[in-house]
Amino acid sequence: MDSEASDFPRGALRPRRKNMLSIHFTQLMQTLPFFLKGLWGTIAISGLSLLAGTLVGLIMGIIRASRYKILRMVIGAWVDLIRGTPFLVQIFIVFFILPEVGIQLEAFPAAVIALSNLSACFICEIIAGGILAIPSGQREAATASGLSSYQQLRYVILPQALRLILPPLVGQYVLLIKDSSVVSAIGVLDVTRVGWLTVQRVPEGLLVFGLVGVLYFVICYPLIQLSNSLEKRLTVVTTRL
Amino acid sequence: MRCVVDMNMITFSKVNKWFGDLHVLKDVSLTVDAGEVVVICGPSGSGKSTLIRCINRLEEIQKGEIIVDHMKVHEKKTNMTELRAEIGFVFQSFNLYPHMTALENVILAPMKVRKMPRSEAEKLGMQILERVGLVIKANAYPAQLSGGQQQRVAIARGLCMRPKIMLFDEPTSALDPEMINEVLDVMRALAREGMTMIVVSHEMGFAREVAHRVAFMDDGSIIEVAAPEEFFHHPKSERSKAFLSRILTH
Repeated sequence: MDSEASDFPRGALRPRRKNMLSIHFTQLMQTLPFFLKGLWGTIAISGLSLLAGTLVGLIMGIIRASRYKILRMVIGAWVDLIRGTPFLVQIFIVFFILPEVGIQLEAFPAAVIALSNLSACFICEIIAGGILAIPSGQREAATASGLSSYQQLRYVILPQALRLILPPLVGQYVLLIKDSSVVSAIGVLDVTRVGWLTVQRVPEGLLVFGLVGVLYFVICYPLIQLSNSLEKRLTVVTTRL
Repeated sequence: MRCVVDMNMITFSKVNKWFGDLHVLKDVSLTVDAGEVVVICGPSGSGKSTLIRCINRLEEIQKGEIIVDHMKVHEKKTNMTELRAEIGFVFQSFNLYPHMTALENVILAPMKVRKMPRSEAEKLGMQILERVGLVIKANAYPAQLSGGQQQRVAIARGLCMRPKIMLFDEPTSALDPEMINEVLDVMRALAREGMTMIVVSHEMGFAREVAHRVAFMDDGSIIEVAAPEEFFHHPKSERSKAFLSRILTH
């Protein structure tokens, strides 16, 4: 290839490459349904994981901000462990190492479990931070008027904490959707995996992974916008209050 | 004037509390009758706020007994939710719920603790807001109210549970001077209606006019309990004399 290139004047290469590019582009367009399938995979894994992660993270966060010392420490240790190890390693553990102890999982559920766990850990910290940011006088006032712990949380603490939590929570969703690309490593058919498979047939990395990037961006951009506008709206509200 | 139902509403006997190594309440004993208004004064850090926060167990005590409306607050197994519903508590910094309107602040506990239907609670809430002169602000958020108005909403929030006791923890010390009176007026009216009240306050004019007794605290102990006239004109202990000269001449 090198010697061939040096035989040609530099300018001569360009039209040929341009030509190849357009051929590859056409080829790529033909694989579009495949990409849409990958896109669906990414959306399914991220969606399920964020849903599960939010639910579990909410419960973990509430406990982490509670007065149950031992539970708080257990959750804290788990969150640190998960945040302190690469997601790729976590997903390998779920997919390759759990079968050793008799827990056999398909790639898709393994991916959802690993990503849900990761989401839960990050979301837990955001929720706990939001709850702890509410002045203690709020809880005292609610306690003094006879509300139960659950009622305090439900009617006084969480509605206020949610204003603080929502913008970083949506921001975290964006990070997790991008992290979901790691699940391609265990063969789950998501956008990244489709990219890997396609680039073997359409040898134009820039084009293929450009498209992969665009597809992630299409999912993430509305969320980024949502996070920004929530931040603006809710800070206006909280400063007014 | 003083409605004498011969009944102890609140009894402290030899109450002791520590914050870590700090001994904040030292053998405090005090009895408050139903319908009585007691003003607690004393230098800051003397344990006044801690004392009234023990009444509804916002703070736990380590030694001694507190009996409120026949319930043993010092015993861990006592169900406090029930008792707290009978005790209105007004904080120095109002502590209104910022995400709720004045009316919603007032009716939250009646609806959730007393299980009152919303329509009924709203009717009651409006009545109570009328008593504190804030019907027109029913739909305002706390941030849209002045300090004095916020504190009146906070009092209404306590009253809406139809409590037997109202506790006030320095209710006017976070207020601008021109707003103090509107809050004191509401408290005066309450006292006249025979509410049992303990007020931690440096408002000596209010104490003189409304209190049945004044308790002076210093360094975690109650030094002196006396009728206002006696306390202000003939304080017994050196410490209360020193305190009064400081507070009355400023």
